[in-house]
Formats: sequence, C-alpha cells, structure tokens
Amino acid sequence: MMYRFLTHEELASLVAELVASGTRVIAPVRAKDDASQIDYLPIRKLEDAAFGVRLPRRSLKEFFLPPTEVLLYYKQTKDGVEIREVPTEAPPQVILGATSCDVAALEVVDKVMGWGYRDELWFGRREATTIVTLLCSMMDSTCFCTAVGLGPDSARASDLYLVPVEGGYLAQVLTPKGEALLEGRGAAASEALQASAEAARSEARKKVEVNLPTIPAEFSGWLSQNFDNPFWKTLALRCHGCGACAALCPTCHCFDMVDEHDSAESGARRRNWDSCQTSKFTVHSSGHNPRQSQSERFRQRMQHKFSIYPSRFGEILCTGCGRCSRICPGGMDLPEVLGKLLALAGNKPEGSAQ
Amino acid sequence: MNLYQPHLMRIREITDETADTRTLRLEFKDPGVAEQFQFSAGQFGEYSVFGEGESTFCIASPPTRRGYIECSFKATGKVTQALRRLAVGDTVGFRGPYGNSFPLDEMKGQSILFIAGGIGLAPVRCLIWNVLDLRDQFKDVTIVYGARSVNDLVYKRELEEWSQRSDIKLCLAVDPGGQTPDWKGLVALTPNAVQQSVTASENTFAVICGPPIMIKFTLPVLDKLGFPAERIYTTLENRMKCGLGKCGRCNIGSTYVCKDGPVFTAAEIKKMPQEF
Repeated sequence: MMYRFLTHEELASLVAELVASGTRVIAPVRAKDDASQIDYLPIRKLEDAAFGVRLPRRSLKEFFLPPTEVLLYYKQTKDGVEIREVPTEAPPQVILGATSCDVAALEVVDKVMGWGYRDELWFGRREATTIVTLLCSMMDSTCFCTAVGLGPDSARASDLYLVPVEGGYLAQVLTPKGEALLEGRGAAASEALQASAEAARSEARKKVEVNLPTIPAEFSGWLSQNFDNPFWKTLALRCHGCGACAALCPTCHCFDMVDEHDSAESGARRRNWDSCQTSKFTVHSSGHNPRQSQSERFRQRMQHKFSIYPSRFGEILCTGCGRCSRICPGGMDLPEVLGKLLALAGNKPEGSAQ
Repeated sequence: MNLYQPHLMRIREITDETADTRTLRLEFKDPGVAEQFQFSAGQFGEYSVFGEGESTFCIASPPTRRGYIECSFKATGKVTQALRRLAVGDTVGFRGPYGNSFPLDEMKGQSILFIAGGIGLAPVRCLIWNVLDLRDQFKDVTIVYGARSVNDLVYKRELEEWSQRSDIKLCLAVDPGGQTPDWKGLVALTPNAVQQSVTASENTFAVICGPPIMIKFTLPVLDKLGFPAERIYTTLENRMKCGLGKCGRCNIGSTYVCKDGPVFTAAEIKKMPQEF
C-alpha cells in the first residue's frame, strides 16, 4: 500500500484553504453542550477538530439523509397548486477524520438508494462530498466492526485514509477525488514509516476482533429460516420501541413522508427519519397492523439488517459502530444478541427452527 | 425534479360508490405527461392532497382507456378524508405507476376467474376492464364479487352492465344479513359463493383480491377446485410511503411489496413469512 506523508501544517493549510473557498469541512469536535462528547460539526480550522477522543454521538448519516428534509414546496393558487422544486445538487463538502464504520455505512446505504430508482437527493450529497477517514483508536468493548466485514482500518467508501504518525499523517489516496483534495501535498513516505502505518492498522483490527467473531455468510439464510422461532420474544423483552437505535444507526435509512403547512395555502412535503421499532410504522388505515408486538418489530430490525439486506444487496446493513447498544434505555445490546444468535446458529444449524 | 415529486392531476369526475367509498377520475394537467403516461393492470400510485400528504392506491381504471386514471378509496385516514373534501376541478398529486402487474400476456387464450370482496374489487376491476376491452383474446370470464351488504357493493353501474353481458358469468353475493328484500344475488360469504358458482379450473387463471380473511378462506376452495397456486394471483397491500423501495415500510420478510409486488401468486405468498 502506498502512503504519502502529510505534516500537521500541510493538513491545517488544506483545511484553511477549503474553508476559505467556501467548502464546508466537517470533523469530529467537542460537543457544544457536553465537552466530554464528540459531534461531527463544521470546523473553521484544523485545531477545532478533536481526533481520537471518542466515537461521535451521531454518525455521518445526517449530512446525507437529514433528519428532516424538504422534498418540495407547494402553494395553493386559484388555478390549483404550484410546486416549487428543491435542488438535487449539493454544495461541495469535505468530511475529515471520520471513523471507518461511519464512512463505510454510506456505501452500504448507496445500494438501496440506487435500487431501481435513484434517490438524487442522497446521491447529490454523496457526489459533492470528499471523505477523509482516520484510523480509529477509540474502540471499546461494544464495537464490532470487524464482525461485519469492516474494521477500524477499513478504507471502504473513503477518498483518503489517514494513519496518524509522529508529526503528521500517512495518507493513502483511494480515489481521484482524494487525489484532487491533496493537490500534490505530501511527500513520499519512507518504507519504515509505511510499515509502521500498516502495523498500526492491523493492531487496531485486533482490538475489535476480540469482541465478536466474524458473522458468516450463512447467517443471513439461517435468520430467515428462523423467522418464526420463539426466541425473538425473549430477545426483545427489554425493547421499549423508542427507536433511539435507529436514529443513531449509520445505516438505518427508513423514512416517513409528511406535509407540513406554513400557512393555510402553502407548506412543504418533507421526509423525516422514522423507525421500524415504533408501533405505528406499519399500521394500516383500517387499524390492521402486520407487526403488532414489539418482538415482531425487533425481529424486523434484526432481519432487515442481517438477512433481508444481505439477501437483496449482498451487504450486512450494520457497520458495527455499537451506538444502538450504548444508547438503548432498555439495555438491549446488539453484539450480545448477535452473539446469542450466532451461538444458536452454530450449535444447531437446522434443528433450532422450531 | 426529484423522484418524490408528484405530477399534478385535475379531478374530472367524482362517483360515490357507497356511503364511504368514492371514485375519482383524474387527468394529468401537463399534456406532455398525459401523452407519455403508461401503466399495466395491477400497478399502483401515490396520490396526494397538498398539505395533507400521500396515500397509496392501485390504479382502478384499465390501461386500455387512455386519457385518465381512476382511484377508489374509503375515507378512513387523514389523506383519504382530505381527498373526499375535494371537488371536480381540484388538484391532486400523483406519483407512479409503481410495482409489477398481472401477467396479461400469459393469461391470453385462457379463462379467467375474478374473485373480489368489498373494495378489493378496485384492482381486480382494472384487470376486468382490461380483459373486457380485449375480450376476443380470452376464453371464459367469470366474476364472483361479494360484499358485506348490498350497500357495500362498489361499481354498481358496472355490475349492472356486466350482468347484462352474455360473455361474462357474474355472480354477486352479500354476507348473510346484508341482503335487501329485492336482492337477487346469493346470500353467502364470498368463499361459499365461489364454491357454489365455480365448477371448473381447467385452463383458468384465478385473480383474487379482498380482505385477508376472505382470501384465507377462499384459497382452500380454489385448491379443491384444482387451481394450482401458481395460477392464483392476488395483490397485496401494505402501508407504504415512497412506493419505490427506499422507505423500508412495506417489507414482508425479504419481499418489498412496492417493488416485488403488489401482484403475487398464491405460491409466492405461501413462501413468505406470515406477517401481513
């Protein structure tokens, strides 16, 4: 793997130039309401960023699929209705120092956003964004990115991948976008330095690998065969159906569409984040609800992530960031649930169906 | 124009089917869109009232009638109640057509048995008229239609028209207690009406739509009559928002009703998890 050595000063000047040119640069920074927490927020200079402190509270999802987003504006007129379109092109932005789990999630969600019909709002932002990923050093016992085929060292969906070294960073250029961002910055790195970057990446992997074994490809099929297994009832007992897991999840992309008035005649149609964990998500206007109990809704979340999405798109709809576990008020722990299911799948590959 | 932006349509005609069910005939405001618009029987759309939101219905008129589409709905929720407040000339939004359709070409040269319950006649009616407009390309056409009561029968003028035609066998039924003194049809639950009026399944496709409970008890009747599950078609409904496979709402296991359906064979439905 080829790296270029980039000094702190070079990275700082890159950020300064981008900001000066009007490009939004988003990086992990100390949260405004709680200095112990980290949020992804726009920065004005490199010193604003807080790398390597802890995983940001929320993923990068909101920069591509905002929590609420206008799809169109409408206005009632004498002759009917006027629609004002919203632009599908987005202004350029750079994401700097994101974790592999948050970055890879974007490429995972690309699959559904491009399935059959292309969601231009999502892809408009994807195309306008250059992503610089930073080797993660913030893993804890809840992280399981390596179990879903990623890792803190994964450069998936990144344009540049940075490994911190003494005095600066080793930068791996992955795409023409990443090349364009560097604009020739950085010098050839010595072989010894490159080897140390590789070693740091592999060390980081090992720290996560101990948390959960890699989920085997057959798990997807096993889950769908066990759709009616009573274990879902037990596994979901602590779920309150609040949907916090989905809000923080980098890959949960389900949304609602609603009209909101700003006057009697005008308003906007919006899409808002939604969650399959809430009781109203699937209820028909007749009152009939295909998923009546919380265990059915929890099963849907698990099936969607680890069976439906893999069978439709060849990808697990989870990047192992662990935010759902850390936020859950009921103490539901996804790696723990996965561990139980993997044990069941491994112990009784077929027999456990009923 | 992003993919969630609807076309504008004008309400050309309003027909009250029952006390709470209404049919709207809609035409595209933009002649260019009207010219280009094509769909197949079984497909659906997202209909909207601006300021209230969108609702999902099948296209209830056949693709053989150009220049307009129809939707039939019961005023039960926010959007359907708002749709009901609209008058002729008012504007609605429409996105579509979405989803798959009935295998019309496969059905050609064969007989078709249509079975519908209540407002479930809407998607079936689209196919019925499609077939009737191409009548010489099909063999026997049988329609079994049941509703809770005489008042709940929809498309009454068309039922009258179908009953006059010699090239259709029409069997109407209302649930016991739902008949009026001058009711000439059957008094039976729809599955029983099928049992009483259908005798053959050779070279026949069955198309069935209605409440889940009706479908559940009609499938064994069709099985006994010798219909293979691969030749029984139905259309599923689930709550939807986007209609195009993004919003994650209509899944039944790995099936996306919006994109893989809404038309499925009984054989396909048997393979799905029973969560609908």
